[in-house]
Amino acid sequence: MIRTTVALFLFAIVICGLIVFRPFTEGEETTADRLGTPIDTDVEVTRSVTADLATLKEAASAPLTTNAVTGLVEAPRRIDVARPNTDDTRLSDMTNNVLAELGFAGVQAVTTNSQAQRQSTSDILAGIEAATGHRSVLEESETLEAIVIAALRAGETDERIDTIVNEAAAAGTVAVPEILVTSDGRVDTHVLLNNIVTQAQIASGGAAPAIPDVSPDNTEGMEVRFVQRATDEVQARFYTVQSGDSLGAISIKFFGSIEHYDAIFEANKGLLSSPDRIRVGQRLVIPQLDA
Amino acid sequence: MKYRILTAALCVSATAGTAQDVRITTFKTDSTFTLNDQTFTVTRNQDTEAMLSGEYALTSRACPPHCLQPLVVADGVATLAELEVLTFLEGHVTGGTGLLIDARSPADYATGSIPGSVNVPFPTLAPDNRYRNDILRALGAVDKGEDSLDFTQAMALSLYSGGPWSDDAPTAIESLLAAGYPAEKLFYFRGGIQAWAHAGLTIHQSQNPG
Repeated sequence: MIRTTVALFLFAIVICGLIVFRPFTEGEETTADRLGTPIDTDVEVTRSVTADLATLKEAASAPLTTNAVTGLVEAPRRIDVARPNTDDTRLSDMTNNVLAELGFAGVQAVTTNSQAQRQSTSDILAGIEAATGHRSVLEESETLEAIVIAALRAGETDERIDTIVNEAAAAGTVAVPEILVTSDGRVDTHVLLNNIVTQAQIASGGAAPAIPDVSPDNTEGMEVRFVQRATDEVQARFYTVQSGDSLGAISIKFFGSIEHYDAIFEANKGLLSSPDRIRVGQRLVIPQLDA
Repeated sequence: MKYRILTAALCVSATAGTAQDVRITTFKTDSTFTLNDQTFTVTRNQDTEAMLSGEYALTSRACPPHCLQPLVVADGVATLAELEVLTFLEGHVTGGTGLLIDARSPADYATGSIPGSVNVPFPTLAPDNRYRNDILRALGAVDKGEDSLDFTQAMALSLYSGGPWSDDAPTAIESLLAAGYPAEKLFYFRGGIQAWAHAGLTIHQSQNPG
């Protein structure tokens, strides 16, 4: 009887000890840093970690504000970057019109969505005008197309074009295609110009750009995982958004041209509310294209 | 004998034609109004056997998107019926202080509309139309400093769409209110083109803007 009681007592002590000291848990991981910024606990060790560190450092160096009334330190908030105005004009349509305007042989101008919107508005104004007898004029607003055409005609350098376009976008006078908006809220003129060259090559009978050979070794932020399925092994590719990336740039990086941005956007709809809302550090699935 | 029947038939048709069996109200046979020096007359179909057909006869459009709308769509926006629409046309529109707006798509508008109406499809009043302020200015709004409009001189607007099942006009009203258009200058004709057709009132065929 005593033996049984002692055994039970020892068992209870061991259980209590296990509960208090938790010898088998491998070190509690902190889920937030000292500023309360959540740390992703399942971060993969990839080269993209450097970028994450940079953003964390940035967050740590952000000045803390103290509430004047309560004297309490206010938690730093995520500041959403200002983004250029966008419209639903497709970059390929816009590029096409730039080439047509520059007199590229075999390229016919098409109606972009923005032009269609403008046209329908001017039809409406004509209707109102017919009814009221008052003249109404459609305000001229600059188009990205016109800015790029003028810059290319003037023989501006790529850096200069980048400055001109971004100044116009920052002033809000021009709307840009969504896939040109970068993770830091700029207009990706690199993709814009790259696509003009690509479409010009295709228009003059050149081959479409080949799908580049990307691997985690030559691509910052890329990861490859192998998923075992019943019959075969599937390769799943991921990409962590770097500073300055736009959806168009990611499409070029993995597929050689901008036209597959839609496939990337569709595969990441849970993460991206619209193609211009990509943020540094987001981990995107790179879909496989069905050949 | 043959002539007598023919004369009788002619007499009957002549009396039927002149008598105006179908009036708008007891004391009103027609409604005449002008829009920018163009005169429109609205009467009712005199064929007492007339029935609706085609698009206007449909009863059961799928909901969503074609859902029944409430009597009052927004605070301060009065709802009109056919007679008030005619009064609006004779008063505000003739006087140049108001417009009857058809909020449907241009394709729908082209199939027939209320005489004197102007087509302003509801999506063009949405905030994402970069040219929306141009439309608002055409309706009488005046620029007032940075990014804001003064609506004191703006026209009174009556909006309608396909029928009580269409949210085109309510959506347009919502967009106008959001843009700052005063509610007391907005009116909603809930019955829309379907109620108009149902009363046998004159429908203008394919009046294209411009």
